[in-house]
Amino acid sequence: MITTALQDALRNPAISWWEPILWEGSSALAASGWLFLGMWARERYMQYLDRPLLWFGYHLRWLLAIIPTFIAAVYAARHGVYELVGRTYEHPPWLWVFVYESLKILLFAVLWLGILFGFDSYAQWRLQRGRLVELQKALSEAQLAHLKSQLRPHFFFNALNTISALMHVDVERADRLVTGLGDLLHISLKSGDQEMTPLREELRSLELYARIMQERFRNRVTIRWDVDPGILETPVPTLLLQPLLENAFKHGVERSTVPVTIDVTARRDGDLLDITVSNTGSRLAEDHAEGVGIRNCRERLSIIYGRAGSLQLEGEPDGVAARVRIPLTRAT
Amino acid sequence: MIRVLIVDDEAPAREKLERWVAEQPDMEVAGSAEDGLAAAQRIESLRPDVAFLDIQMAGLSGLEVAAQLEASSAPLIVFVTAFDEHAVKAFELNAVDYLLKPYDKERLLRTLKRVRERVGGGGPRTAAVATARAQTASGERLLVPDGERLQLIDSSSVEWLEADDNYVHVHTRARSYLLRRTLQDLLTQLGERYFVRIHKSAAVNLSAILSLTPLFKGDYEVELRNGRSVRLSRRYRDALFARMGR
Repeated sequence: MITTALQDALRNPAISWWEPILWEGSSALAASGWLFLGMWARERYMQYLDRPLLWFGYHLRWLLAIIPTFIAAVYAARHGVYELVGRTYEHPPWLWVFVYESLKILLFAVLWLGILFGFDSYAQWRLQRGRLVELQKALSEAQLAHLKSQLRPHFFFNALNTISALMHVDVERADRLVTGLGDLLHISLKSGDQEMTPLREELRSLELYARIMQERFRNRVTIRWDVDPGILETPVPTLLLQPLLENAFKHGVERSTVPVTIDVTARRDGDLLDITVSNTGSRLAEDHAEGVGIRNCRERLSIIYGRAGSLQLEGEPDGVAARVRIPLTRAT
Repeated sequence: MIRVLIVDDEAPAREKLERWVAEQPDMEVAGSAEDGLAAAQRIESLRPDVAFLDIQMAGLSGLEVAAQLEASSAPLIVFVTAFDEHAVKAFELNAVDYLLKPYDKERLLRTLKRVRERVGGGGPRTAAVATARAQTASGERLLVPDGERLQLIDSSSVEWLEADDNYVHVHTRARSYLLRRTLQDLLTQLGERYFVRIHKSAAVNLSAILSLTPLFKGDYEVELRNGRSVRLSRRYRDALFARMGR
């Protein structure tokens, strides 16, 4: 722009060579300042990228402040310089200047914003696509692991054997176990299309599982429940806690020849829900490798709650505790 | 009477099997056990003809119990499991008896019929023990008597094995244990990782050997790190040298 103006001016003997440089240079300087401010400010409007009208609107409303300050700064500079060389800067009347410069700035701003919009939208689209692929991968892996853990052939065959043994001594108890096993199967199958369930329901499926296991390991396990009745309606991920109780049985009860106690506690801790499943009779090895159940659990927590949800395995003096913390109210 | 031992860590499963076995006119329940160590102890003290061994148990699994038995004098073993694809494949392959949970009376009776046919023979019990050894790390741990009880020790802690008729003295740095096993079968169980036979009645842990001194007629004297000397008969000399990389 400066060169065009310069060439134009050189053919015009009435204009000195430095004048167009000053005119266009001052405009360019002020405009560049605003450009950088614009680039710095666009972070704030990133969230509106998927609604272009809002995005342009939020940016353009700054023109109300930019135009007067731009004109004031540029014309003050030009007047100042002319003053210094002992001349007077002549320009059309102020109203005309204002309209002319406003239109120029608007045109320029829209062009620049268009470029920025293109860049940012593309970057965001790539980021979102990457995240989506990642999320889908994590989801399908979690689903697969969930499916595998659902099948649990060992649990079902053993439970069936227990029922088949019990039938000969106590038909009603055997009947209750068959019903419990059926309920558990219903819940497992339903969990596929129901991501969240009230804590009350989740605890019920834990109880069904525990009842079958208690029948198998009679006299070898005591289960204590300590649940704050005020949080029973809190939504929790379906069948999230089951693997934790399964672990308590697998590592605590099944591998121990002495009686084991399992504690299930659920309480409120500030704005978090704190659920702990702990068992005596086993130790957390220093270099313990986490099983599919725990990994699956942790992945689901991070998909649903991000950083707000956590699962920790803690070694206790006489056993192991698995502690889940999730927000009482689900954000987003 | 065929004497049967029933081993399962779940009471209902034990009771079911006990009831149906007790109904058989030619069988009696000699005893039962609810974990692996107790099972090995009962097998030792009751000498049953048949043992039903549940695979998944606390402490020592049914496979690990079987792996520690003297193959020729072991009871006829029937493994019982709810779900164990790998082991079941091996049982099929080696014609080892097994029972899948849950089972009904008809299926158990079929198994008992087979048990009656096989209980006198030596082949099936050897196959069961060998299969169990192949399925477990049977060479890493050794079940030894400690007073009235049994305990597991690491094979690597054993310095040498000394045969004494139908017994074997198992010498560790700290103490010795007396096992009612043959050296031959014990070495089969332990495999070649640590031990090498140096005499008809002795085997040593390779890492316990300090030095070799030639004697007459090709025999050697093997000095162990604990100061003991054991005779290496020339029959086993080449095998030992090969293992020591000489």
